[in-house]
Amino acid sequence: MTALLDVDEVVRTFGAVRAVDGASFAVEEQSITGLIGPNGAGKSTLFATIAGSLKPNSGRIVFAGSRIDRRPAYRVARAGVVRTYQAARVLTRMTVLDNLLIASAGHPGERLTGLLLRPRAARAHERHTLERAQELLALVRLESHAHDYAGTLSGGQRKLLDLARILMLEPSLVLLDEPIAGVSPALRVELLEHILAVRRDRSITFLIVEHDLDFVMQAADRVVVMNEGRVITVGTPDEVRTNEQVVDAYLGTAH
Amino acid sequence: MNILASGGFWAFVGVVAGIYTILALGLQVQFGFAGLLNFGQVAFMAIAAYTMAILVVKEGWSMWLAAPLAIVAAGVGGLVLGLSSLRLRADYFAIVTIAFSEIIRYVATNETSLTGGSQGTIALGPIGTASQYNGEWSRFEGRVQHALGFSSSDATMLVIVWAVAVALLASTWLALRTPWGRVLRAIRDDEDAAASLGKNTFAYKVQALALGAALAGIAGLFYAWEFSFFSPDDFAPLLTFFAWMILLLGGLGRVWAVPVGAGVFGFIFAGTRFLNFAPFSWFGSDQRAYLRLIIVGLIIIVLVLVRPQGLLGNKREMVLE
Repeated sequence: MTALLDVDEVVRTFGAVRAVDGASFAVEEQSITGLIGPNGAGKSTLFATIAGSLKPNSGRIVFAGSRIDRRPAYRVARAGVVRTYQAARVLTRMTVLDNLLIASAGHPGERLTGLLLRPRAARAHERHTLERAQELLALVRLESHAHDYAGTLSGGQRKLLDLARILMLEPSLVLLDEPIAGVSPALRVELLEHILAVRRDRSITFLIVEHDLDFVMQAADRVVVMNEGRVITVGTPDEVRTNEQVVDAYLGTAH
Repeated sequence: MNILASGGFWAFVGVVAGIYTILALGLQVQFGFAGLLNFGQVAFMAIAAYTMAILVVKEGWSMWLAAPLAIVAAGVGGLVLGLSSLRLRADYFAIVTIAFSEIIRYVATNETSLTGGSQGTIALGPIGTASQYNGEWSRFEGRVQHALGFSSSDATMLVIVWAVAVALLASTWLALRTPWGRVLRAIRDDEDAAASLGKNTFAYKVQALALGAALAGIAGLFYAWEFSFFSPDDFAPLLTFFAWMILLLGGLGRVWAVPVGAGVFGFIFAGTRFLNFAPFSWFGSDQRAYLRLIIVGLIIIVLVLVRPQGLLGNKREMVLE
């Protein structure tokens, strides 16, 4: 297996605070990698740095062979790295269907020049986008809500919509920020199944930040543990569980 | 009260409502669809009106060439403002737009050799001559009047302005139903989420600002033609806020709410002119002018309280989080 994402000595400070302080790890292609650590370990900052919404002070982030750490968020997303937010950021004042249609990469109809100069290509792309959206709505079982405003959905349904929307973009790497925070036990199982199925059927790699260790240990092949802005260890769930440093830094305080 | 029955007066109110429709349509694109707080919309009217008048009077251009160029100039004005300021946070951007519109007005007031200064367009030409920019427009209006068989030029102007307004409303409505318009709405909803879906939100915001500015430019041209003369004072910030009132009255995010808002606003604004009976007759006419503005403001406050989503707005879109 080769590394799809390579995080190399990344530093990100906020004033005097070194939120990420030289973190390095790799995410293997088609893996599910868990990123854990106590509060304030720098996980969320690192996440935002990978997604391009924060720029690192130093270090490199290489995705599929190219550096992405200097690119704006929208270009990181176009390169195939898509993130979710802890509270699913669905577009509440748009319909569920529009939420999916918006997530279409390289749509000629989304540019004024494309609309004017390539109207047929724009229409064809829109038809294709609509088909895919309906397919994914069916996958997460939200078809009956297609024309409701996304703001009327429950928290769990928003998570499902968020997942479907990400799949619309056909990403290579999905960054999930606390996917099961505030989610009912039943939906937890459903989300886990979706993630495993998506990895299997669509060859998508996942990097998951999650506080629920049981979920991470169940879902992930590899676990990256952060503490105080640094990566303290990387290993399989079993290795991490028995690592003394991890127990000290994290499990020790949590259990 | 006889003026109440005068068709010419109400045709004039209708023309002004049509001009405000085009002006507020620009704001609808910018704020109602892309979420941009633009409080300097009047500046783009001024840019277009002055560009057209200067090219016609000073350079001797045909109005038919000067007018499209003036609209482009307003759009470019939006582009320049957007490229320089749209990276600011929404509230800072709003402040910059007010400053921008005041800068334009002050430049128009003080660059006397270019704009005629505070005397207005009458001083555009050489000293001692009263210059006119709308000879060609009057001839065109006359031909339309003849073709329509109308007796009044007010009614002719009414038809022309609203024909253009309806065409612009329809094209805007169509443009916003495309995938392009969908991205704008997504940016209004949550800009970060739109960026994380791969949308270059900055480019879309600049486009929305420039297009809204071009629409304001068209409104500026009609304003110039309707009144045959204008000066920097015509482009005071109050006009921008009239357009905002129209937007709030009609409803956000709905193209066809704009003419409804403009109609209601025009009716209220013109209607308050007839409040010359008791108790209003207790005040002098100059005091009544201010009283009118107070009454207009009160009516709008009540309307917004009763229907915060505007007359045609969708209340559900307002409360969803």
